[in-house]
Amino acid sequence: MTDPVFGLIYIFIFPGFLFLFIYALFFAFLDRKIASRMQQRVGPPFFQPFADFIKMLGKEVIDPAGVDRVIFDAAPLVALAAVMTAYLYVPIIGNSPLAFQGDLVVVLYLLSLPTLVLFLLGWLSRNIFSAIGGIRAITQLFIYEVPFFLALLTPALMAGTWSISEIVLWQQKNLWFVFLQPIGFIVALIGLQAKLERTPFDIPEAETEIVAGPWTELTGRRLAIMDLTIDVSLVVGSALVAALFLGGPLIPWAITPAWLEGIICFLLFLIKTLAVLLILSSIKVATGRIRIDQLNDIGWKYIASASLVQVGIVLVMNYLWVYA
Amino acid sequence: MPEVVVSIGPHHPALKEPVNFKIIADGEKIVRLELDLSYNHRGVEKAAEQRDFIRVLPLLERVCGICSHSHSTAFAQGIEEIMQIEIPPRARYIRTIIAELERMHSHLLWLGVAAHLIGFNTLFMWTWRDREAVQDTVEEMSGNRVHYNMNEIGGVRCDLTPAQVNAALARLPNLEERVNKYVDMVNYEETMLLRFRGVGRLSKEEALRYGTVGPTARASGIDYDTRKDDPYLAYADAPWNVVTDTNGDVYGRTRVRVWEIQESLRIVRYCLENLPEGAIRVPAPKNAPKGEILSRYEAPRGELAHFIRTNGTDRVERVDIRTPTLANWTSVAMCLVNQNLADIPVIVAAIDPCLSCTSRITLVENQTKKAGVISFDELIRRYRSRNPEEV
Amino acid sequence: MSVLGEMFENFLSRPITILYPKEKVPIPAAFRGRVAIADDKCIGCSKCSLVCPAQVITMIDGPRDVEFKGKNLARKKRPQVKLFKCIRCGLCERHCPTGAIVLKNELSCSGTDGEIVLTE
Repeated sequence: MTDPVFGLIYIFIFPGFLFLFIYALFFAFLDRKIASRMQQRVGPPFFQPFADFIKMLGKEVIDPAGVDRVIFDAAPLVALAAVMTAYLYVPIIGNSPLAFQGDLVVVLYLLSLPTLVLFLLGWLSRNIFSAIGGIRAITQLFIYEVPFFLALLTPALMAGTWSISEIVLWQQKNLWFVFLQPIGFIVALIGLQAKLERTPFDIPEAETEIVAGPWTELTGRRLAIMDLTIDVSLVVGSALVAALFLGGPLIPWAITPAWLEGIICFLLFLIKTLAVLLILSSIKVATGRIRIDQLNDIGWKYIASASLVQVGIVLVMNYLWVYA
Repeated sequence: MPEVVVSIGPHHPALKEPVNFKIIADGEKIVRLELDLSYNHRGVEKAAEQRDFIRVLPLLERVCGICSHSHSTAFAQGIEEIMQIEIPPRARYIRTIIAELERMHSHLLWLGVAAHLIGFNTLFMWTWRDREAVQDTVEEMSGNRVHYNMNEIGGVRCDLTPAQVNAALARLPNLEERVNKYVDMVNYEETMLLRFRGVGRLSKEEALRYGTVGPTARASGIDYDTRKDDPYLAYADAPWNVVTDTNGDVYGRTRVRVWEIQESLRIVRYCLENLPEGAIRVPAPKNAPKGEILSRYEAPRGELAHFIRTNGTDRVERVDIRTPTLANWTSVAMCLVNQNLADIPVIVAAIDPCLSCTSRITLVENQTKKAGVISFDELIRRYRSRNPEEV
Repeated sequence: MSVLGEMFENFLSRPITILYPKEKVPIPAAFRGRVAIADDKCIGCSKCSLVCPAQVITMIDGPRDVEFKGKNLARKKRPQVKLFKCIRCGLCERHCPTGAIVLKNELSCSGTDGEIVLTE
């Protein structure tokens, strides 16, 4: 981060926001295409998410009666800004130049913001479906957040650092965490699915029950930006899981020249995030929606216990092997 | 938490047809349900009084898009009984084949819709894909996917050629395999068990008290099927069993429906293989003698009843259609109490409601143009005040 | 999770959808599509217009000599069909004594103007 021009290019163009925008829309397309092919449908053409985004930007913005317009406009932007900021700390080509000690906690915090924004939108909409959806979103947040955080913090516990980049470096020297902490990996995937509100955890926006939940009153550019937020969260979440459990975009040996290593690291990033997406899409296709009370049971009884067991195992492993 | 009123419909993504529920919920628990039906009154009964027997059948087919054959068969059976004509065996078999194919595609459609309502879109896509095979068979036989128009008074409109029979038989093995797969999925797939088990339970006594019919009643352990209790068409000849289940919840209703598809497949196979030779229709007189009849028919959704009164002309004086959905509505209102808000769509869908078919009456005040609800006693009182000679 | 096997089987196979305008849908021979009238067979008996549930067949003047059961018949009227009000029930075809009016297996025959009539 010595050269300011390099920093600006990194943040805004590649692998920053411009790439993120394109990759997020491509991710959304792939997600829909995989699901459709598993159901023997044709699925959308590759520019469909982009076309949807442009179309929705051009649509009329409707203000429900009695809604605070300023907050209603600002909330989706806050969510989008939060997840895009989170993206900057995730390693893409080699380690992030913005990395600092503790960026894992910041990323997790920023990834939680869209859910809070959804709750806020649901509450502000003055619509019974939105309100129920908002309440469901926040209830769901309390259920999955604890095991999700525990699962993502166990790699930090073993690597002895709070920086994502340093966790990736630890994996470069030792072993991927997916082999060391398989339970944590599964819990992280389930938590990610719940965070992104995808089937079976699409309880807050269950379209056959409460229309679209907090999304009901979103129109025009608000809907476009909120949709983009979820697409970006999908990329950031997949990249985070790839970095923490699948060794990130680093290879255990050095390659010269440096630009070749950069390209290989970037390809690794693409492959690993796509692998995570394939798993997430398969979960989406293979299941139906569960009820909020069932999620409560499953979440606290099994998923939370599993992540606690994982933390216990990691502590024992740390004592006996890693720091012995 | 205070009680909130969630108003669902008449326009809602979960509802394919117009109906209005006012759900009084306490948090996520349902306290009470208020129903408002009849958004889609089309005056079919009145229109039926103005057409002769040839032209009334295509009209009655259009009472319902899914069970179109049910309505025209129920009506044709009733008129044939009044006219005292016996339809030839080949016509009976052809009517049975179409009726059971219709039941299969109705149940497959329902299974897909139920899966969609719990967010399980994969099963939705698969069942609707396999339903195409049934629809193609019907299209080959009758010329249309939905409105078959196979019936006429005294027989059927067109014959089945050997090529059509063989094409239908060739489609059956694949369909049987798929249906067996769905039976497995309904019984063992975790997502469906989670969402269907124990939801909207109706005990045998309650099911009897609220007068449920069809798969809803059979899922509660009531052995009631018009095809067995009062055999018509070729149901007395074909080998098949009445499917019942003791669960009484949405899970039970799903199981009854998938098993019924298997039974329908057996009936279709038997009828296709044992299709009798001979004429497909007998000439029917133009006019029907004066008479009254209640024609019963087991539609895919349950027992369908046509009350027909004739007066010696070529038209009916009155035809009253009681659709199975009407018989099952009361049980839905009872099922929903104390259930979770998230289970409303699935419980409502579990009776396979066909709302537009059910809209037989709507009440609009002449001066104020206000639509509303009146009690049964009030309805009787108004009728008697207008027709004093009939009391 | 019994769906997983079939899911990946589908994932690797081709979609089953027929992309309609590009690929043609097979239409069975018995399909009830657009009405067609063979004018040389029609004896002008008006049966079709009497049984039509949608009442889209009207009899208009169309004098012509038609051969019927070996004899020459001088008919006075011929049927006229309002194409896009027709519900394609097939009753006219069923009741026609000479097979002059038939429903062909043509799929694409929809329109909005109810007054357009069939012209030969």
